[in-house]
Amino acid sequence: MRRLILAPLLALLAACGASDDRTELVVQRFFGSCQADYGAVNDPTKADGECGIMTALINRFEADNPDIRVVENVVFWPGYDQLTAQLAANGPPDLVTMHSSAISDYEARDLLEPLNPVLAQAGVSPESFTPAARAGVMVGDQVMGLPIDVWAPLWHINMNLFRKAGLVRDGRPILPSSPEEFDAHARQFHERTGKPYLVQVTDKDFAGPMRIFYMYVMQQGGAPFRDARHSNFNSPEGQRALGFMRDLYQQGHSVRNQDYAGAVSTFLKGEGGVLIDGTWMVGQFTAASQREDSALADGYAVRPFPAIFKERNVSLVDGHNWVMPRDERRTQAQREAAARFLRFFADNNFQWARTGHFPAYTSIIESAAWRALPHRSDIAVLTQIGEPLPRFVRRQSPIEFIVGEEASAAFTGQKSVDRALQDMQRRADEILQSF
Amino acid sequence: MAMGDATLRSRLSQSAPWRRWSGLLFVAPYLLLFAAMLILPLIIGLRLSTTRSDLFGVKAEVGLENYARLFSDPVFLKAVGNTFYFVALTVPALTIIGLALALVLNNASRWSAVLRAVFFASTVLSVTVVTLIWRLVLIPDGGLAAVIARLFGQAPIAFLSDPVLAMPAIALTTIWWGIGLPMVLFLAALQQVPRDLYEAAALDNASRPRILFSITLPAIRRTIALVVIIEIILQFQLFGQAQLMTGGGPNNSTRPVVLFIYEAGWKQWQLGYAAAAAQVLFAMIAIAAMAQYYVSSRKEPA
Amino acid sequence: MSALRRPPPLAVVAVVALAVLMLVPMLWVLILSFKDNTALLADTASAFVPPYTFANYRNIMGEGQVFTWLMNSVIVSLAMTAGVLIVSSLAGYGFARLEFPGRKILFVVVLFGLAIPEQAVIIGRHQIFSALSMHNSYTALVVPGLSMPFGVFLMTQYFRAIPVEIDEAAMLDGASRFRIFWRILLPLTIPAQATLGIFTFFQAWNDYWWPLISATDGQMYTLTVGIAATQVNFAQAEGLGFLMAQAVFAGLPTLIVYLIFQKYIVRAVAGAAGQ
Repeated sequence: MRRLILAPLLALLAACGASDDRTELVVQRFFGSCQADYGAVNDPTKADGECGIMTALINRFEADNPDIRVVENVVFWPGYDQLTAQLAANGPPDLVTMHSSAISDYEARDLLEPLNPVLAQAGVSPESFTPAARAGVMVGDQVMGLPIDVWAPLWHINMNLFRKAGLVRDGRPILPSSPEEFDAHARQFHERTGKPYLVQVTDKDFAGPMRIFYMYVMQQGGAPFRDARHSNFNSPEGQRALGFMRDLYQQGHSVRNQDYAGAVSTFLKGEGGVLIDGTWMVGQFTAASQREDSALADGYAVRPFPAIFKERNVSLVDGHNWVMPRDERRTQAQREAAARFLRFFADNNFQWARTGHFPAYTSIIESAAWRALPHRSDIAVLTQIGEPLPRFVRRQSPIEFIVGEEASAAFTGQKSVDRALQDMQRRADEILQSF
Repeated sequence: MAMGDATLRSRLSQSAPWRRWSGLLFVAPYLLLFAAMLILPLIIGLRLSTTRSDLFGVKAEVGLENYARLFSDPVFLKAVGNTFYFVALTVPALTIIGLALALVLNNASRWSAVLRAVFFASTVLSVTVVTLIWRLVLIPDGGLAAVIARLFGQAPIAFLSDPVLAMPAIALTTIWWGIGLPMVLFLAALQQVPRDLYEAAALDNASRPRILFSITLPAIRRTIALVVIIEIILQFQLFGQAQLMTGGGPNNSTRPVVLFIYEAGWKQWQLGYAAAAAQVLFAMIAIAAMAQYYVSSRKEPA
Repeated sequence: MSALRRPPPLAVVAVVALAVLMLVPMLWVLILSFKDNTALLADTASAFVPPYTFANYRNIMGEGQVFTWLMNSVIVSLAMTAGVLIVSSLAGYGFARLEFPGRKILFVVVLFGLAIPEQAVIIGRHQIFSALSMHNSYTALVVPGLSMPFGVFLMTQYFRAIPVEIDEAAMLDGASRFRIFWRILLPLTIPAQATLGIFTFFQAWNDYWWPLISATDGQMYTLTVGIAATQVNFAQAEGLGFLMAQAVFAGLPTLIVYLIFQKYIVRAVAGAAGQ
């Protein structure tokens, strides 16, 4: 009986696995799964959003390279728990999406393969990367990844509500340039629209609060980390940053109880003025603004995170890259396939930049085509004022999680600012000193 | 089989030493698995707990440092507290509701059969489906609870964002998921209660509560103890619901020990520390189960 | 008599109300799964009014992934069930009926194993399979589950309850140990096999933590892990209706199996605890 059930199953499996002499390239990525909408699309120009464009790009690559079988492994964001487990299990994928900030975590443990030879084979020169993209992947003279973008947290603005709130001049949004102004604008906004000024992630997903906190610390000229073993969150800058976030929330200037998906849909529904979210949403919000039934219809603008604390005009930036985890079993044929894959992504970087991300290649960022994309001139300044998290911190990813968790506990009033900063620093330092 | 039989039989009858050891052959496959998948990992875990290591190797021997660190780590201590709180929220509820359902549904009518099916059905769903369902009930933006609240003109409650309500919400989800098991166990026990006890009670005109407390409950007391122990062991292992519904937040109010272990080992690359926490969890479960066993066995009349 | 055993009406009302509460979340997810994603984005309350659509289910059918996961879950659960039944029956017979050196102490050790929770050994297991480079395989997903002492305990108890006279009669007829086990005693344990089998199947089907860290390759995900991956995706690209359809799709097989075998499952679960 049991054998009766198992036999056909096993036979079917064997049939699936057998007789394919194409080179297998295992590609692991986040950006979500959208096979339902884009599974059959292999023209990237016909796709929108991170998930759609990424899916279409990979479909295109497969269509162009019939001798390579791409096995696509979509993981939940950011996918590092899983990658770590795979590396420990000696079975990592051939190429993985990785944030620039996380590269040092893996590079420090010698878990990534420098891409110099692969890129040379592919004919991609690191010289072609933008300075910000290059800074994200270079360790000494070794190239640890192929950058596909540089991104930053932005202010996505509902201009229809801003107009109603009297915060538009000459068709441009009026943004605060000090904590006091921030408070005044938010108050005025709420009085005239009845809605909160700020739409932000307040719980469950830690990334949003973490980035805002880092941003405010950096704007004050503070440094989140002292050295490779010590964080510096419990500082005057940290106090002021978190205290300010808390004040905004306590004054009712922010939405409440939003996870990431909730915050995005709240903004799309027109339930708040400013959404703090990354470059990746520019394309999607632009598309929404072109639909008549949208709350953003004809009323979407985007700006760099304004300098609320003016000590430094700086913005946190990060980037997405393809990296190659070390794997002794990887064959030369697979390396060649990877080289072609990377070349393809370098060549098609414009399509990826349509998401809203900054291109990772000088030729594209300087091209008329990119500058002609909507809203890009409004945020282009970020290529000059962007600054990544320090490379010497070699557990960036778990620390980001802790910073986000503690920051949201503090600004939503569940915990005192002092206590949160102490815990943040202690927990981060424990990790930094644990290896 | 037929082929081996003759030789086996002749060998069995021939050699006494072979016969003496042949029994071991039957238990050997299991003992091998037991040693490889339970005892060996336990030893590896114990060993790792005295080291500083990540998933890629051991860095240093640190003795009992990890344990010392655990007991001064507020996040871990909170996780222990959260775990006990969760057990306290779920185990009595599962036991009492399960028992109540079993008492009401312990009859042969068709409606009882349907209702038993309803209460057991959720048990067969996997944790990821259960949490998906309940997030969609509880989230304030468009969740069912919020939709209903709005119908009555009330502001929706953000169960999973409130440090006071988040754990009860996870407990509610868990009770919804797991109520079938205790109910079925109690039903089975109730079937075993001798009918003549009830008949005698009926002759005495005993009241319902009296029958319940002086006949039914004493008769199934072993099952009650069993259900409590099973549930304690199960609920101490809370992981998926917290990981998927709240990620341990808000403000660390729903992080159970198992999630702590997972994060320490896989997210933060502190495998030795995670291993130490796993041993503490092991001890906690063992002590709680033993205490419960001790309490319930002491009540037994000598 | 019968009046006494009939529950009081108030209790019946309460139980029916509870039953409705049990069903409502499932029905909610069911109707969401028949709604258009954009309509739900605007307002989930739109789920209560038409139009409804099968699009989400069509999309699942168009996407191979869920089927791969489903297949993995089926294979892993069946293999683990078969393995546990075989190994536990052999061991149960050995411990209950045969004499060999160390039998008593070994059985006590196995009983001690009952107290070890998965969490206490999962790190060690992960290390072992890492060292063998055997993660992302059916072996890694199935083998740890075979070490559950519960099955051995259950089968030992069951074999012990079978009268020894049966073996002795067979022995006199010259049957071998294995033959007695295979042809005579094993058929008598079918109720216990059913109990253990069903228990193991559902446990394997719902296992979450181990597959989460061992099956990290999308092709090797079990349904539980696969659904988790879509559930916590940063960009909820697929939309709510699709996610709900996936939940229904993932939950349906076990619900159907349950409804078909309801009687046996309930009896089996109760039987397992009775031992």
